[in-house]
Amino acid sequence: MHDLTTTTRERDKKSAATSARRRDRLASLAPLAGLLVLAIAFVLVGSLRGVNMAYSVQTLVNQSVIIVIIATGAIFIFAMGSFDISLGASTLVAAMTGALAYNATSSIWVLLIVCVITAVVTSLISATLAAVFNLPVFVTTVAMLSVLGAVAVALVQTTGGAQIRIDSSFAREYDTLEMKFLVAGVFILLCFFLFNVTRLGRVEKLIGGNPVTAKLTGLSMKKTAIAAFAIAGLGVGLGAFLTVLRTPTLTTTTATDIGMNVLVAMVFGGMPISGGARTRIYAALIGGLSMALLNQTMTTLLSESSAGNGIAQIVRAILFLVVVWIAVAGHRGRLLPR
Amino acid sequence: MKISKKVALGVSAAVGLSLALAGCSSSTPSASGDGGGDPVKMCVLVSDATSSEALGFKAYYTDYIQSNFNVTFTYSDELADANAEKTAMEGFIANNCKAVISFASADRGQQIQMAEDAGIFYSVATGTLPEDQYEEFKDSPSYIGAIGPSLDIERQAGYDMAKYFVEEGDTTFAIFGGGIPYYIDMHIHRVAGMLTALAEEPSTTYGGQKEFGAILGKIMQDGTIKVADFSSDVYELSGYVEAWNFGDSAWQANLAGVVASQPDAILAAGTGFAVFGAAIAGTDIKIGDIDAYTEENKKAMEAGSLAYLAGKFTSINGPIFAATLSAVEGSPIRAEGDTALALEQGYWVATSVDQFTEYLAADTAENPVYDKESLEPFIGTDASYDEFAQFVSQYTFEDLVG
Repeated sequence: MHDLTTTTRERDKKSAATSARRRDRLASLAPLAGLLVLAIAFVLVGSLRGVNMAYSVQTLVNQSVIIVIIATGAIFIFAMGSFDISLGASTLVAAMTGALAYNATSSIWVLLIVCVITAVVTSLISATLAAVFNLPVFVTTVAMLSVLGAVAVALVQTTGGAQIRIDSSFAREYDTLEMKFLVAGVFILLCFFLFNVTRLGRVEKLIGGNPVTAKLTGLSMKKTAIAAFAIAGLGVGLGAFLTVLRTPTLTTTTATDIGMNVLVAMVFGGMPISGGARTRIYAALIGGLSMALLNQTMTTLLSESSAGNGIAQIVRAILFLVVVWIAVAGHRGRLLPR
Repeated sequence: MKISKKVALGVSAAVGLSLALAGCSSSTPSASGDGGGDPVKMCVLVSDATSSEALGFKAYYTDYIQSNFNVTFTYSDELADANAEKTAMEGFIANNCKAVISFASADRGQQIQMAEDAGIFYSVATGTLPEDQYEEFKDSPSYIGAIGPSLDIERQAGYDMAKYFVEEGDTTFAIFGGGIPYYIDMHIHRVAGMLTALAEEPSTTYGGQKEFGAILGKIMQDGTIKVADFSSDVYELSGYVEAWNFGDSAWQANLAGVVASQPDAILAAGTGFAVFGAAIAGTDIKIGDIDAYTEENKKAMEAGSLAYLAGKFTSINGPIFAATLSAVEGSPIRAEGDTALALEQGYWVATSVDQFTEYLAADTAENPVYDKESLEPFIGTDASYDEFAQFVSQYTFEDLVG
């Protein structure tokens, strides 16, 4: 009698474990499946509507690469369960300082270096403030959002106008697919290496999954946070560099939607907002491309409808909820206490 | 709920297929036009999609023009900056627009360059290109040109409006600068024109200046209007408001303060009633505005709040449409030296309800003054530049309506 009960219990446990593994795999495959479906829809709709497919694909890259780069860097922050609301403002300030530096020197390297340094410094300020005052990082990024907004206004006013412009012919010369692929490729590979090969990724996942345990194991939360924000800052800097090349006229409204787009891209890519063990460094790439495909498809489908924008927003919202539901439903009730 | 593989993939497939099916379904037919062949797809960039003026312009294109010519119009969303404009242009080019008509001006140079690279046509409605940009792009076959109030006309509009109120005996003024902090040239020139008119009085200066050029320079330098820099023994500048920060409590407080200063008239560089209408209700304050002929402004004039309107009429963008379509059909109208158009059109001025009502009734989206009959002679024909320029120059109410 005892043996029968034990065997049944063991069988139930094995079955539950198998189901859990299947759910895990499914949840991790869902974003990829979504990307595939959106790609098919993009091609189908574009072909049926006779759009310029070559140009559309180029536009896909143009409109997704900056978000992908910044989101990939931001994953290091989100993996720890932190949140940075100032990504858009950081991008703007970095782009503006880079543009001003370019105007003074006419050097693309100065533009790149200043963008990156500015972004890394602003990121590190957030992380350092959180470390020194023992505040949640999110709180310091909220403060930075306001500060950076004011800095952007001040930077614009240095030109005596409402814009910061660089030479558009220079920007056009370097605003190429090759440049975008180069920058994105190098950064994503670097992030992949740092997150998946070095210890950093594992530490961040542990902090995101269970900060109590992480602390008790002796991990330095502050050092990890600083490293994460530095890498995120690098991503923001590279994104700012490409922003200046893409749009040589910068105003205080440039890059304002980057923060939300980064968040949406990560969610579409299957990134859990709470971070933790299920964090995948490629989530931003999948999510960024998915968003761009969806936007392009919606634009083509709804271009002649007066309510096109409204409908597109609703579709995006529905898809966003579906993706989150698929990603979360398989793991409901399995989160470790925080 | 437990997720099965079937459910997840089924949801993804359903989403994807719904997109594809929606694409397969026939779109709303939007062009009747005349003549055979596929309608010419024209795309419109807008930085303002919700004001009465913008809606009136859109109604003219999508209701009247689309019904009478073989064209379809696709409008962008409201574009806030150069990046949004670039994204919209990319969408237009990918979706095979033959021409872009632009009401958005964050980075016109970028827009024109994109059109040129894509081999599509581009034109500017109700505006002009700055001198340096015109020189840069005037020889481009993609750039059709601009038809609208020149900066000189904007200056004159502001000047005439201020002069009107001076001649009415008003001495205390407030100014609404609109987009001056964003360096919108037309608003800057309008306000500079207003101050120049006031500075004709011997004791009056702005920043110590009396001439238009100097006043303009000061505004460009400051990026705003400084009430303290206005000096006069006869007139008073009691307040100044700029931008449209309705959600900002400080802006709201400033607006209330301007109204509380009880000017005789508020001289607005644009959207004057939309900004001040509610605040001045029940007062004797008048508004002078450089805006458009809309139902809202008509009600304002009937209520006595709006005393002067220099306005764009609904079908003012007819000629630029004609020039654009003519270019698409292989008959571009070019200026001397095979250069792009740079033609002026000004405003209709109304200072009474009767006048306003007459102007509004004379030009509607359903019955525009620039109707099919007036535009057709310039589309796909061998009409000369001189003939077209002559046509455009006759924009006054008397010219068009009689």
